Amino acid sequence: MIPFLLRRALQAIPTLLLASILIFFVISLAPGDFLTPARLNPNISTEQIANLERNFGLDRPLWQQYFLWVGNMLRGDFGLSFQYQQPVLGVIWPRIVNSLWLVLLITVIFYAVSIPLGVYGAVRQNSLGDKSVNVVLYFLLGFPSFFIALIVLYFIVQARFATGWDIPVGGMRSEDFAELSPLGQALDVAKHLVIPALILAITDAAGLTRVIRGQMLEVMRSDYIRTARAKGVSERTAIWKHTFRNAILPIVAGIGGTLPGLIAGAGFIEVVFAYPGITPMLLNAINTQDLYLIAGFTMITTVLLIIGNAISDILLAVVDPRVSVA
Amino acid sequence: MKRAMFVALAMTLGSAVAAPFVYPAAWTAEQNTANKRGGEFRSYTISDFKTINPFTSAEAESIPLRMGEGAGLFVQDPRNDELIPYMADGAPTISNNGRRFVVKIRQGMKFSDGQAITADDWVSTFRIHTDDKVGSNFYDNFFLSKKPITLKKIDNYTLQFDFPQQSASALVTMSYAPWPDHIFGKAYREGGAEAVKKLWTLGTPANQVVSPGMWTLESYQAGERTVLKKNPYWGEWNKDARGNALPYLDRFSYRVTPDLNAALAAFLAGQIDTFGPRNADDLAQIKRAIDAGNLKATLMPNVSPQASSQWIVFNWNKASDPDKQRLFRDARFRRAMSHIANRQAMVQLALGGLGTETYYSVYPIFKSYINDAAPKYRYDLAQASRLLAQLGYTKKNAQGYLVNNAGKVLEFNLSTNAGNTVREQLGRIFADEAKKVGVKVNFTPIDFNNLVGQLTAKGDNRPFDAILLGLSGGDNIWPFGSNVTPCGGNLHAYNNPTSGACLTPQESLMTKLYYQGDATLNVAQRRTIGAQLLKTEAELQPIVYLVGGNYHVAYNERLGGEYPRELMDAYYLSRNTALTFIK
Repeated sequence: MIPFLLRRALQAIPTLLLASILIFFVISLAPGDFLTPARLNPNISTEQIANLERNFGLDRPLWQQYFLWVGNMLRGDFGLSFQYQQPVLGVIWPRIVNSLWLVLLITVIFYAVSIPLGVYGAVRQNSLGDKSVNVVLYFLLGFPSFFIALIVLYFIVQARFATGWDIPVGGMRSEDFAELSPLGQALDVAKHLVIPALILAITDAAGLTRVIRGQMLEVMRSDYIRTARAKGVSERTAIWKHTFRNAILPIVAGIGGTLPGLIAGAGFIEVVFAYPGITPMLLNAINTQDLYLIAGFTMITTVLLIIGNAISDILLAVVDPRVSVA
Repeated sequence: MKRAMFVALAMTLGSAVAAPFVYPAAWTAEQNTANKRGGEFRSYTISDFKTINPFTSAEAESIPLRMGEGAGLFVQDPRNDELIPYMADGAPTISNNGRRFVVKIRQGMKFSDGQAITADDWVSTFRIHTDDKVGSNFYDNFFLSKKPITLKKIDNYTLQFDFPQQSASALVTMSYAPWPDHIFGKAYREGGAEAVKKLWTLGTPANQVVSPGMWTLESYQAGERTVLKKNPYWGEWNKDARGNALPYLDRFSYRVTPDLNAALAAFLAGQIDTFGPRNADDLAQIKRAIDAGNLKATLMPNVSPQASSQWIVFNWNKASDPDKQRLFRDARFRRAMSHIANRQAMVQLALGGLGTETYYSVYPIFKSYINDAAPKYRYDLAQASRLLAQLGYTKKNAQGYLVNNAGKVLEFNLSTNAGNTVREQLGRIFADEAKKVGVKVNFTPIDFNNLVGQLTAKGDNRPFDAILLGLSGGDNIWPFGSNVTPCGGNLHAYNNPTSGACLTPQESLMTKLYYQGDATLNVAQRRTIGAQLLKTEAELQPIVYLVGGNYHVAYNERLGGEYPRELMDAYYLSRNTALTFIK
């Protein structure tokens, strides 16, 4: 195990270096810089633009900016965000925490929905239940989640008008959040999380359900399951212990990919629900060409991807004795 | 009579020590006679706030700007645009040929932490703004033609400003918000610019934030909500016409909405109190909600033109194409282009009828600087054809485009920033009309950053033919842009050679008049100079001004204390927050 981790750590160094070069230079390829809009401001003089360029280090050649950035990063400093004028980590951390709550809930619902549905579909293949689940899932698969979110928002607003209930239509906290008790605060946040989380988890679950159903069907037809059944193991054991455990191997292998996903936020659903997660902030950073904010965040997700893959491999070894990490 | 009395009251504050500033009753259409107090003004912002630090903030709408509302030595009266003493204890003593201003500060004013506001706060704030290592957005305000303005403390309640030359905007320059010396000044003395930049980031606890103005920070939640609460000490020197402490409100809150559509939805649902309708669609939605009884709100369309302009500029520095350069440098060509601009169609089609035709660099709302003697080259295709014929374009080719003697088609490229639908429509309308007289306009929207790069490029061969863009910003004291009008300014976009020299006598005259007006303290004289400048500019027609959108007002019925209708416009907006109350 330890040599495996060491090897992974060593392999990560060139990967990260290459990633940092790509990230930095691809972002810099975009025309203009953070100060471009300021150049069009009749109240800002050329001298002041030059001052700001010097303060932000934008007057230096690109390669110098890159080495400065990488050097600082090795010391744990991801640079200053231009627009916030504070360290990148300080800017993105609260957003990551917000996104984490939402994404964790999404992940829980996601697996809680797709695993039983996938297994059910395989066990009762072609039953009326299986077919209706398939129809609904196909339908959801066909629409982007933000579009479904917009439709849901419309109905929430209609419901609000009709009933007068305070169903949250966005944000993460109610306006009277500060006056609530700790339990009330937790409930308030949960109330705001549940609708976006449900929408995203259910639309995403369509894909995984299909995969699990297919995998289960394949494994259920294999010889060893037939053998197990012939030996007289209960149906429950045959399905959950023998079939399911083998069927989810490809899914476990992919779990590492969800780690960066956890901090990368829930995408456009955050935008639609005005949720204070990482996506709206990142979109804004891209719009304003806040170089270090985008680059720093991308680097963090890259690191997490590498760690996630290592975890995936370890998990796979745990689930599948044929794989070893040594 | 009542009105006159209040004006007199407001103007003669200097007589008594620590007398409060009294808000003229005429500043509100609806007096708060029932003395309603408390409540929250719920506003919105479409991009989250970036900082609380007043020295590093660069946003149009920002926490420090809102906190500093109601702090400044002078304040502009929306009735006559005049600057009246506010934190100053009276009109300044002017000497040294109009370049030295000695200002007495009103005594008894306090920051939100209870510390007295004194001359030191102005001096420290001034020092920090003018340190180029801080990168303050106010930096430029404290320089005149690149020469620094200086500030000296005479005593705890007296300041002395020295300007390198006379300046019409002197009182505006002095009216910056003073931030606490005991926080920023201390940090600056101990750790310089870097220490100042580290203060008051979004992670700073709200109770450490101290404000000189009407509001101070109560809470900040990234991406969600920012709540400001009233500074209780501010009401000690800010009173309404009946002597009550201001503001009436307890809180001012911002909800972060992902975009303006979401903000509109929040307004329609009654969750926010105000919204700035952009176009006919917004107005229609609000009207429908009001008519259906779902929303109790006041809607006022077309209150005034917006304080912004949309225009087409031609590149005079095009060494690579001498034909085009000659053409673009010819005033007759540019006048012909102005005749081609069908501004009425632009207002109707691109702005849904909610706009104003524009002919000058001065925004139409700054009426006192609009000079009727300045020519307007109105939509007139026949006149455009006549002018182009004078330039040698009399024949048309088989495609119907004008050609010169050498058979070269009269054409140019026009670009604007992609994604701005209004500008894209303006450009199309212009290109269509140009085709009618035989001018081929190749209109292409391109990336904004590329466009700005082209526009602000310097040299003898700049990389564009013509650009359609807009500008906003500026005040009605001297409404010409310091880096737009004079030669050499980085937004003197039609002629920007490396040397920054003027090319035509009109440009030289405009530069001279710009500085002359900027240095004229007398309002009437300044307006005369402005009229002459506007006339010169209109004749030269270096930039063809097109149209501007209109400013509309919508606010929830529960708000009271807005300006009388005649005081509302895109510059003064619809209300003074201090006089706003919840019914």
